[in-house]
Amino acid sequence: MNRTSLTAIALTLGAAPAFADGHVSCPVKVGVLHSLSGTMAISETTLKDTVEMLVDIQNEKGGLLGCEIEAVVVDPASDWPLFAEKARELIADEGVDVIFGSWTSVSRKSTLPVLEELNGLMFYPVQYEGEESSKNVFYTGAAPNQQAIPAVDYFLEELGVERFALLGTDYVYPRTTNQILEAYLKSKGIAEEDIFVNYTPFSHSDWATIVGDVVEMSEDGRQVGVISTINGDANVGFYKELAAAQVSADDIPVVAFSVGEEELSGLDTSDLVGHLAAWNYFQSAETEANEEFVAMWKDRMGEDRVTNDPMEAHYIGFNMWVNAVTEAGTTDVDAVREAMYGQEFPNLTGGTAVMLPNHHLTKPVLIGEITEDGQFDIVSQTEEVAGDAWTDHLPESAKLTSDWPGLGCGMYNTETETCVQIQSNY
Amino acid sequence: MRILLALALLVIPLSALAQQGPVQTLLQTHAEDIADPSRQTIQPVLDDLSASGLPAMTEFLEAWADKGVVRRDADGLFFYGQREGDVYVLRSVEDGAEAGEVGRREATELKPNAGVRRLIGTALVQFQLNDPDPARRRAALDALSRNATPDLLGPLRASIETEENGAIRDRKEELERLITLRFGENQAARLAAIDWLSDKVSLEGRAALNNVLTTRTVVGPPEAGANIARVLVPGTDISEPAAVALLAEAGFEVAQVSRADRDAALIAAIEGESVAGVAVASLNTEDARWAAYETLAQAGAVPPRAAPDAVARLLAETPITAVYDEPDPAITTAAAAALDEVGARVARAQAADLTLDALSLASIYFLAAIGLAITFGVMGVINMAHGEFIMIGAYTGYVVQTIVPDYTVSLIIALPLAFVVAAAAGVVLERLVIRHLLHRPLETLLATFGISVALQQIFKNIFGTQAVPLTSPAWLAGAWSLNDVIGISYIRIAIFVLALGFLALLVWILRRTRLGLEVRAVTQNPGMAASLGIDPDRVGMATFALGSGIAGVAGVAIGLFAQVTSEMGSGYIVQSFMTVVVGGVGSVFGTLVGAGMIGGLQKGIEWLNPSNTLAAQTYMILFIILFIQFRPRGIVAQKGRFVQ
Amino acid sequence: MTDATASAGRPTRITRGSPADHPSIRRPLIRRPDVLIFLAILALVTIGATVLAQTGHVSTSTVKLLGKTLCLCLAALAMDLVWGYTGILSLGHFAFFGIGGYAIGMWLMWDRTELIVLDTLARNPLPATPLEVQEAIGSQIFGVVGSTEIPWLWAFAGSLPLQLAAAVLVPGIVALIFGWLAFRSRVAGVYLSILTQAGTLALSLWLFQNDSGLRGNNGLSGLQNLPGLDHVPQSTISLWFLWASALALAGAYLLAAWTVAGRFGSVLRGIRDDEARVRFLGYEVEHYKLAIFTGTAMACGIAGALYYPQAGIVNPAEIAPIASIYLAVWVAIGGRGLLYGAVIGAAFVSLLSSWFTGGGAPDIDLGFYEIRWTDWWLVLLGLTFVLVTLFAPKGLGGLVDLWTERRSRRTSDLGPDEGALRAEEERP
Repeated sequence: MNRTSLTAIALTLGAAPAFADGHVSCPVKVGVLHSLSGTMAISETTLKDTVEMLVDIQNEKGGLLGCEIEAVVVDPASDWPLFAEKARELIADEGVDVIFGSWTSVSRKSTLPVLEELNGLMFYPVQYEGEESSKNVFYTGAAPNQQAIPAVDYFLEELGVERFALLGTDYVYPRTTNQILEAYLKSKGIAEEDIFVNYTPFSHSDWATIVGDVVEMSEDGRQVGVISTINGDANVGFYKELAAAQVSADDIPVVAFSVGEEELSGLDTSDLVGHLAAWNYFQSAETEANEEFVAMWKDRMGEDRVTNDPMEAHYIGFNMWVNAVTEAGTTDVDAVREAMYGQEFPNLTGGTAVMLPNHHLTKPVLIGEITEDGQFDIVSQTEEVAGDAWTDHLPESAKLTSDWPGLGCGMYNTETETCVQIQSNY
Repeated sequence: MRILLALALLVIPLSALAQQGPVQTLLQTHAEDIADPSRQTIQPVLDDLSASGLPAMTEFLEAWADKGVVRRDADGLFFYGQREGDVYVLRSVEDGAEAGEVGRREATELKPNAGVRRLIGTALVQFQLNDPDPARRRAALDALSRNATPDLLGPLRASIETEENGAIRDRKEELERLITLRFGENQAARLAAIDWLSDKVSLEGRAALNNVLTTRTVVGPPEAGANIARVLVPGTDISEPAAVALLAEAGFEVAQVSRADRDAALIAAIEGESVAGVAVASLNTEDARWAAYETLAQAGAVPPRAAPDAVARLLAETPITAVYDEPDPAITTAAAAALDEVGARVARAQAADLTLDALSLASIYFLAAIGLAITFGVMGVINMAHGEFIMIGAYTGYVVQTIVPDYTVSLIIALPLAFVVAAAAGVVLERLVIRHLLHRPLETLLATFGISVALQQIFKNIFGTQAVPLTSPAWLAGAWSLNDVIGISYIRIAIFVLALGFLALLVWILRRTRLGLEVRAVTQNPGMAASLGIDPDRVGMATFALGSGIAGVAGVAIGLFAQVTSEMGSGYIVQSFMTVVVGGVGSVFGTLVGAGMIGGLQKGIEWLNPSNTLAAQTYMILFIILFIQFRPRGIVAQKGRFVQ
Repeated sequence: MTDATASAGRPTRITRGSPADHPSIRRPLIRRPDVLIFLAILALVTIGATVLAQTGHVSTSTVKLLGKTLCLCLAALAMDLVWGYTGILSLGHFAFFGIGGYAIGMWLMWDRTELIVLDTLARNPLPATPLEVQEAIGSQIFGVVGSTEIPWLWAFAGSLPLQLAAAVLVPGIVALIFGWLAFRSRVAGVYLSILTQAGTLALSLWLFQNDSGLRGNNGLSGLQNLPGLDHVPQSTISLWFLWASALALAGAYLLAAWTVAGRFGSVLRGIRDDEARVRFLGYEVEHYKLAIFTGTAMACGIAGALYYPQAGIVNPAEIAPIASIYLAVWVAIGGRGLLYGAVIGAAFVSLLSSWFTGGGAPDIDLGFYEIRWTDWWLVLLGLTFVLVTLFAPKGLGGLVDLWTERRSRRTSDLGPDEGALRAEEERP
């Protein structure tokens, strides 16, 4: 007790390092670094609520290592530099043991240097473009090979698509994902002229010409498919225009990587039935664990709230972390990290998630068709796919690998057999 | 418990097998493929099922494609299943008779994916072509147009004779020609089909022609009698690396030493501190490394580098040709000519389509900007919160729609209501803020910006950040299309009409009413107008109400085809300013011209660079900045108080 | 309105008289009370923060926040010169701030990556060739955007002096070209505001694309880690930047005070008050406007170059038009036409803003509704801003004036020309 209060004093002074030794100071603090205001608030607030729910559940089960868990919530306000500032506050001033947070790549890139400098630990729950593996981050969202590549395979094999329109909002995730997909498609024998790429600004609303261009692609008699990395509310206009142009999913299927249950709630989905989305989780997954999770969520937040993929990522990440801490007997970052490798936890969609040496998870890939009620009908579910930090489909990345426990390196060049960097270059 | 379960598992299949009908028996032979189908493997199963000749099979296939079939986990039998609460109500696949219920956890719904559904649709075609129900016949033709197979040509031809419905008969004849062109045996019939297609612009027509013209790439001299499309010249028809890759695939490889190979060879040859007689430390340039490699090569230790022109020589020696898959040159020549002819027509149609898109965009910009233009003209102030009036209008539409469920009625209520609400907001803004900042335009700009920030956040707090749905009535759904190229959605047409309506209204108000006279007077010379007894306050308020009201209506219109969020206004505000500035302040026609120019320009740049809409916006803004240099007062320059 | 009544009885001074006649302007710069007080406060804050940080009473994040705030104050000072003194409402000055950040960020990323790359390549049996180094740097910096090629923009990224020069010169040149085009064709008033806003939008849209070669919307990150200084803790580096920011702000303040006090400053104010009259007096108005527009753009570039290594990341969202408008808002709230007003505004609003959004402000429970400041702060800011514009055009700095006026019965002559505001009121 005496020790604890001493630590508390030291912490308020802001001078003491947050975790000097392997012992546990109660309460165990969990930092929540999700925007509660600004443009990302709508997506991220849900995740903050998820973490709080998970913390409450864990406390009901008796907490962690005999301590109560306390969620420390800050608001980085969708302002990217603020993510770095708030992460520093969380680790250095609040002394949190782990952070669950961040949504976009840019916010993660902003947080990374602080995490590595202060040896923090963060769980990042959203699908991203890969090409990164930091010692201090566990990526519980999908890497491209856990979402984009399987979706393209589905297009190629199941729908017989031969011409591709890659439509995206102009930012890094769509750009880099499409670059990987282009390389992948070419390796599958799709010619360059059969790939149409288009980028639009955030919140784009004038979709008539672009939808027209896509429809025009089917003029050479082969099946056309759209791979959409269109983000956020721009989807509303896009799907409305598709519906107005009477493009049915049978003529030109659209698979989206950023449209989930939340996004569909802003739309009348009756005209979109049959279009697709690829995720690692859908609310409609029929397992008992998922039904329990959904019920718990609705119970806490209201009947009309939906669950989505990043929520599942936090669910897995949080539980894995709890198990790792229990195993390590301490919240010390280095010990917990060691205990994280090989952690297993059941997915909500069935199967087991395993934490890999490259800080990514194994996850099943699900393809869902949009239904009238704004949910997804799961038409395809793969076995668990191991997340790949460095894609195999870009020449420069193909030779890189990440293996923290084995090689002690997140960016290891297998050709020259050297570690390119230990600290991220962000 | 477990034993009982095992017993039950044993018993059920036996009893089930005893009463299986022919359909179930056949299905059970392909049970796994049907339960978990893949497009790659399902075709033989479908062939088998449709060849069975069982009359109940049609219904099964339809139900299967419709996700209406479940498989009971206990015994693996298939049923038509309807989910009701926690159970599936089962019906027999033989005759649709009631077959009890099963808990939802004890049965699996079959969810064939879209690729499989398409194949099922094709398998159903032969049964549906002569179905008495026209809807099914149309479904069959749709399936046929998506995925035709040669063996369906016969049934299709046979069904034309007996077809009574005129439209369906025409459609059947169309499809017959298209399929004949693709799979027909008779050269004359195929040429006739090509001839018939040469004056169409339809997508499926072009698709059919293109299907005839598919080519494969042949490296080296093509076989005798091959129907050669063209010789691919590296550098012009095909990029050089691609050509080299093609050659390599065909076994014509130039032994090139890559930099990685070179470095590996050098490292392998390190002896102490030197390689091939030079110090390792001196190999810190590419040239030095190549020189060292050459030395090694001359010593015969490593394969030599290829001559610099080896690739070019190989490319020159080995022709790469594109050869038509279609062996008959008469057909391909005719098809290529027909496609050229169609192509020219399509290009014209595309230009027309682009013009329609530009007009549509222009009408949206006009609606968004006209309110700004008249308030700017009359009061000389820039209202940064103008975009938020658009948003207020859109949210008004949303709220009305949540209260009045009928989309048509709610739209009829929402349009005038949005006008009133936004106009009221405008008047409040004018009375409380702008009135007090008269003659201080820069401060007005900033103060209204403050209003804009506050309004956006207030709406965010009330309605959430997520886009809210604003759905257009059914009669506005869909698109008007002249052919497969020229088309525009009805909502956009409606917006165009709305913009024209407001244009007419404004022109009428300005030209024919007392208010219009006063507005024009104040715009041109406020001092003189005031001394003639015109109350500039009243005129200002009226124009502000009018301008904001129109923005509100524009909000409803925009919300019908795009998203409604608290930030939607800020997406239009810069474009609206551009429109006003380019067109000329205070002039309705100026705004019209400005909107037309910006809409047209944006579509033009998009057309030049279709892969990057974002860049199109960047270039447009730069162009406008330059344009202002040459016509600082806009296209329709107005003499008035702000002429300096 | 309030302003008109307040100043109605007083004669206008600066516009009517020759600047050289004015008593306070003849006084040496360093002895002017506002300059002295400002420098004293700045020194107090900087030294105080340093001492407190060294003794562990102030956390590194607070020092960084302070340093960043000083940079924002510098940008606001520039904005005040161009808007408060010259009357050009530029809605693009934060873009120059961002450009400065990008320029320094390129060097930071490049140099840091080069060190990593050389370290890795040194482990190869063969000594590294320049081409290998280039390729490795390219793949490390641009791997995240799926590319390995080094864009032409990065040609000088390896050189600190050149990138430092770019942080100042690129904003200067952009401002010079833009200003020359705009002023030459007599674009003024709200037209100019809208044009600058559009230009800023175009720049941020362009930067957003991966193709532009500056890593798309991810921007340049990890800027807080100075190359070769891995052993120096952030707590020390943050102090260095605090001092650098403070020195830059002090220098800029002195320069600004000197500028506005002289003949040049009088012409600027003349342009703000009545551009046509100044032109008829024979002054080349365009040259003056261009000089102040370009000069302040360069100052913003310096501020940005100091700010972003403290923030750690610079990306296109920073340059969005809204940021420049906020800059104007700070100046307006602080008091335009007052140098210390701009500084007060920037410091006050940005610190308050981070207090509110950081959950520092207690939520207010109204019984039927709970006001959470993370949600309502922007509403408060927007409305406050409207109220300030309406009722206190001199802003917070005006309060300082009121106070000093009452105390010493001497008016500060560096405030906005009352005559100007009145002249505007009187204009038909």
